Amino acid sequence: MLRVLIWEFGKLVRLRSVQIGLLAALVLPVLWAFAPGLRAQYGLELVSGWQVPALSLLTGMDFLFPFLTAMAAAEVLGSEVSMGTLKSVLLRPSPRSRLLLAKIIVVLAYPFILLAVSLAGSLVAGLPFGLGSFFGGTGLGAGSFAGVGQLSPAEALLELLRAHALAGVVLWPLSALAMLYAVIFLSTTSAALAAVSTLLLMRLLIAFPALQPFLLTSYLDLYIRPAAVGLGLPLLIIYTVGFAVLALLIFERKDI
Amino acid sequence: MSEAVAALEAERLGKKYGRRPVLENITFAVQPGEVYALAGPNGSGKTTLIRLLTGLAFPTSGVVRMLGQDVYNGGYVARRALGAVVEAPAAFYPHLTGRQNLEMIAFLTGLSKMETRIREVLARLELLSVADQPVRTYSLGQRQRLGLASAILHEPQILILDEPTSGLDPQGINKVHEILAELAWKGVAVLLSTHHLREVSAYVDKVGILGGGRLLEEVKLSTKGETYRLRVDDPARAAAFLKTVPGVQNVSLRGVNVIFEGSPNVALAALVREHYQVQFLEPDYFDLYDYYRERIKNV
Repeated sequence: MLRVLIWEFGKLVRLRSVQIGLLAALVLPVLWAFAPGLRAQYGLELVSGWQVPALSLLTGMDFLFPFLTAMAAAEVLGSEVSMGTLKSVLLRPSPRSRLLLAKIIVVLAYPFILLAVSLAGSLVAGLPFGLGSFFGGTGLGAGSFAGVGQLSPAEALLELLRAHALAGVVLWPLSALAMLYAVIFLSTTSAALAAVSTLLLMRLLIAFPALQPFLLTSYLDLYIRPAAVGLGLPLLIIYTVGFAVLALLIFERKDI
Repeated sequence: MSEAVAALEAERLGKKYGRRPVLENITFAVQPGEVYALAGPNGSGKTTLIRLLTGLAFPTSGVVRMLGQDVYNGGYVARRALGAVVEAPAAFYPHLTGRQNLEMIAFLTGLSKMETRIREVLARLELLSVADQPVRTYSLGQRQRLGLASAILHEPQILILDEPTSGLDPQGINKVHEILAELAWKGVAVLLSTHHLREVSAYVDKVGILGGGRLLEEVKLSTKGETYRLRVDDPARAAAFLKTVPGVQNVSLRGVNVIFEGSPNVALAALVREHYQVQFLEPDYFDLYDYYRERIKNV
């Protein structure tokens, strides 16, 4: 399984959507760090480089990161269909579930890779503002950007890591959903569009208050709402496992 | 029932997309050492049938067995005996070299001593010189040959190939036919789909003619080379006479020619003895392509 996983990671980094996504995640923080309209938009004056990652995360999680995640997850399977390599792999005496499980693990790891690159890019972009202790907040912890007093570099880093890890988990259901659609449609574009459409549709369902606590879209900002982790995190994991298991079951008897 | 277990067996195989049947009631078997060619016009269901046979797709009805094991319910283990190329040209990871692609396939197939075997098949398919180049730099013919290399890598007992000579130059075509004939001689059951019936008729044992999603006919070519035809002044009377000659069998008339099996020397001597004017006598090579064209004309 380990060897299959290594192959899958090797294939992942060669996908066009992944390369574009990682480049965007790396470069966008620079734009945010030096955007002239930042104050007008967020009422914010950057006082520390530790605040740049929050800007990247808040804006990225709004649409870009979910979209890139869905694209990558769909392309992991869709590209193999379009290249014809899926057939040659499935002809071997190896269980279909092993192959898809490896792909699911890879697409679940991708949000963390994407967010790690975004964090690294943000910290580099934040260097001119300094990465020492400062009075204020990272934007991802208590008191948001105003903070609750002095913040040491270690505390700031910990806050950022926690928020980015949570954001990665927030993106999991979308990865699994895009993989499920990729199994159903065997097409990158259809799967990515279906996943994003489902997400948008779920956002509209907040019009039904009774459903709201159970919608995965209610927890897309979980990384800045630690209080909701108790209910949100298990729910997001249930969604992820549910979509993944469904994908595995369908793939087992899917005509290729 | 007295026959040994067929290497590959399709029984009442059917496939529908929605309510539209694509394949209906396909039944045939390929024995070890037999070469079975699937022929049929575009849209006749050849590719769908190959996808069903290899377990890539699932039938609406019927079953496929490989060495007696159900391909659909027997799990992936049933595919251990299978080597296959289901696309022309064969698909590979373009960023990997030919050798790396084969290494991946060898791993997925559970092949031990893979390095030696990979070198062997690369040499057999004349790909050693490009083995360490990325597949994206390969010509169509090289990719097609790498496809065959991947299919025979683990020395399968069943080989299923979709258009194995597509995109190859004449030399490559001969090489592929030579390898397939050799594998069949060693006991491998070979099933291939082809439009080039004249090319394969030299070593194919049976041809399944598909049309409109049904197996229209199975033509056995096992007696090829033992049939003769002759032209004589009174063919009807000569045919009736030859039926009485020991050593001459299955005498029939085809137009003005008399067709028979058995010894040509015996037939010729008997006819001359009876004062028939024999104009020529020659082996009657069965023109599979002409037969096929005639068979599918009204499908």
